Amino acid sequence: MLDLENITFHYEDGTQVADYCFNLSIQAGEIAGITGRSGSGKSTCIDIISGFLSPNTGRILLEGQEIGQLPPGLRPVTVLFQNNNLFDHLRVHQNVALGINTSLRLTKDEKRAVDEALDRVGLEDLKDAPSHRLSGGEQQRVALARSLVGNRPVLLLDEPFSALDAEVREEMLTLVRGIVSDKNLATLLVTHDVNDCHKIADNHYDLKDGAFLLRPV
Amino acid sequence: MARRPALITQTAIVSPGLSIYPGLMVSGLLLVLVCAVFAAIIATGLTQNTALSFDGVGRLLAFTTAQATASTLIALLLGTILAWSLNHRRHFTGRRMLLALLSVSMVLPTIVTALGLITVLGRNGWLNQVHLSLFGEVSGFSVYGIPGILIAHTWLNAPFIARGLLQRLEGIPAERFKLAASLQFSPWQRFKIVEWPALTIALPGLAITVFLLCFTSFSIVLILGGSPNFNTLEVAIFEAVKLEFDLTRAAMLALVQLGVCGLLVMLAASLPQHSSAISPPSLFYMWPDPKLARALQTGAILLFSVALTAPLAAVVIDGLQGDIFKILQDGLFRQAFATSLIIAGLSSIVTIGCALAIAATRRNLGSYLRTRQSNFSWLVGWLISFMGTGYLAMPSIVLGLGFFMIFQNLPIATDHLAPLVLILANVLMALPFALVVFLPAMQKSGRRYDKLAFSLNIRGLTRWRFIDWPTLRSEIGFVSALSFCLSLGDLGVIALFGNRDFTTLPWLLYQNLGSYRTSDASVIALVLLVLVISVFMLLPALFEKRPHAGS
Repeated sequence: MLDLENITFHYEDGTQVADYCFNLSIQAGEIAGITGRSGSGKSTCIDIISGFLSPNTGRILLEGQEIGQLPPGLRPVTVLFQNNNLFDHLRVHQNVALGINTSLRLTKDEKRAVDEALDRVGLEDLKDAPSHRLSGGEQQRVALARSLVGNRPVLLLDEPFSALDAEVREEMLTLVRGIVSDKNLATLLVTHDVNDCHKIADNHYDLKDGAFLLRPV
Repeated sequence: MARRPALITQTAIVSPGLSIYPGLMVSGLLLVLVCAVFAAIIATGLTQNTALSFDGVGRLLAFTTAQATASTLIALLLGTILAWSLNHRRHFTGRRMLLALLSVSMVLPTIVTALGLITVLGRNGWLNQVHLSLFGEVSGFSVYGIPGILIAHTWLNAPFIARGLLQRLEGIPAERFKLAASLQFSPWQRFKIVEWPALTIALPGLAITVFLLCFTSFSIVLILGGSPNFNTLEVAIFEAVKLEFDLTRAAMLALVQLGVCGLLVMLAASLPQHSSAISPPSLFYMWPDPKLARALQTGAILLFSVALTAPLAAVVIDGLQGDIFKILQDGLFRQAFATSLIIAGLSSIVTIGCALAIAATRRNLGSYLRTRQSNFSWLVGWLISFMGTGYLAMPSIVLGLGFFMIFQNLPIATDHLAPLVLILANVLMALPFALVVFLPAMQKSGRRYDKLAFSLNIRGLTRWRFIDWPTLRSEIGFVSALSFCLSLGDLGVIALFGNRDFTTLPWLLYQNLGSYRTSDASVIALVLLVLVISVFMLLPALFEKRPHAGS
């Protein structure tokens, strides 16, 4: 479904130089877990797929269609970051609604979709709460709810649960697994914790020397 | 019942004593001084013919408020546009220079600014010369009066606002911009949902500060006002003392001024404190703006570059055309130069001492309040907050007036105490700005090292040597330059106490302007400009961390 074909990227910031070459294929409903040391290129890979960085060469294909030329907003991709996934001054349901219409003017059906997404992540009761009042785990649930209403077939998770405690993290991993299966999403999970991969990933890749190495799950 | 460990730790951090009392003593001393000044003004204002002295106060207050409101609104609008433009354009030739110019305009003596603006916008100024060569006649625009006051206040304050807001915008996490890009926000939605919330946190505080600065503006109105119709309270106080010798009227005006400033400072103190919550500049991600937005950004950057550079260039060019050698050899100039340096140097040292003491006390009392909720904690919290901004309520000319009135009743010649008054006024003027820099740094150092310092029993001077000095030295360098420059350029108190034997560079410059020796005034303005820029470049560099000095 999602294919990275010979994606190369050269990184240089004065003190660090790195060269990456990504080749990867993720099927619908599959979670590919990626681990690697700091600076190994995990987030760079996410940034390239989501369009925040342009690769030097290579192609990004979704069901055979090239999406590498599309701007970030038009890519069929949802990204969850470790932090700052919500706009603090907006209410929970508004943050979710952004996934449907950024003007926040929704039809009845769209409002129902927001409610259903919040219900799916267990936050229906908090739909009118200001986002900054939520706990870290609740904020990530809201971001997941937004990915549900967005109906984009690729989900990119950039260490989204690193800041959560063990119990909440476990809940979130289960939730993600369920959502990915329900919606048949091609999912890339970047994490520094191998256990996350063992728990929910279908395939585990280690990013070493700028390239993916397949590891046993 | 067992006490929570956190409570014990936090209380113990506060208990060693040394870290609280210096700040309380400094605050107490300054408070006593301010109260003495206040009492002297009230005593003079209420014991004589009040009704007569109130004549025209309403009109003065209305004009002062109107010009301050208009200046603040214009500065806020332009400052916001510039900050937004600079945040979206992070890579262009001259960006660092423009940022440096923004800082220079904040610390440049206002009288130098006024002189530069007259050269550019005055009747024989550059703009009129261009107009004359293009249209064969000079334009009808006059820099004197309301336009000049508004332009000068905008020139001085829009950069201050832009710096403050730019810091906020640069602190927006990159993820927010990525999220906005991923959700296909329009440029307007990006501004409304991502950038505006970050700006609104800082805008009320900046607006109140700028309003206060414009409300108490003295030099600009004195030089560019042009007519008694455009007098502000501050200038009216000066004229009441120096020209009319009516201390009662001066006191009444000062009380009105203090009332308004006091209300605003209380309002500012009640605003949520966000200074310590500024995030460091985040990794930048910004997708291209549409053409219209880019044109607006380019226009704003160009306009500010020209507007900020032109008056400075005018000061340099005019100064170089004057008889520099003659001025430098002049005894009065040398005396004013030495006095300015000594007063500014001492003011800077005292400001740093006071600000560090108050900042340490606020940090430690803040820790204490977090763990001890009592019925009076809100009052203590408010007082601690007021310690930072409260002095803004006492404009320097009002302070000078108060001391002037106190000295009337003392058997000491005013001249002998004038330097002390000048230093005190400078310290009170620079303290709020110094605290804005020191407080977040001190709180950061506290959060990072308090527990470690307590566990190792590091306190007092040892703590200062190993923890506070290494972590604060950059801030101390910046504040020393800032307070030095602010003191160097003050024209408020010296306007009341200055005479032939005791004069500073700004006062000498004003006297030269008043007696139409504009060529000499231009040279003095150039000297002040060079001094300010040199100090602002050299002093912080002296305090910078040396390699391997440890931190």
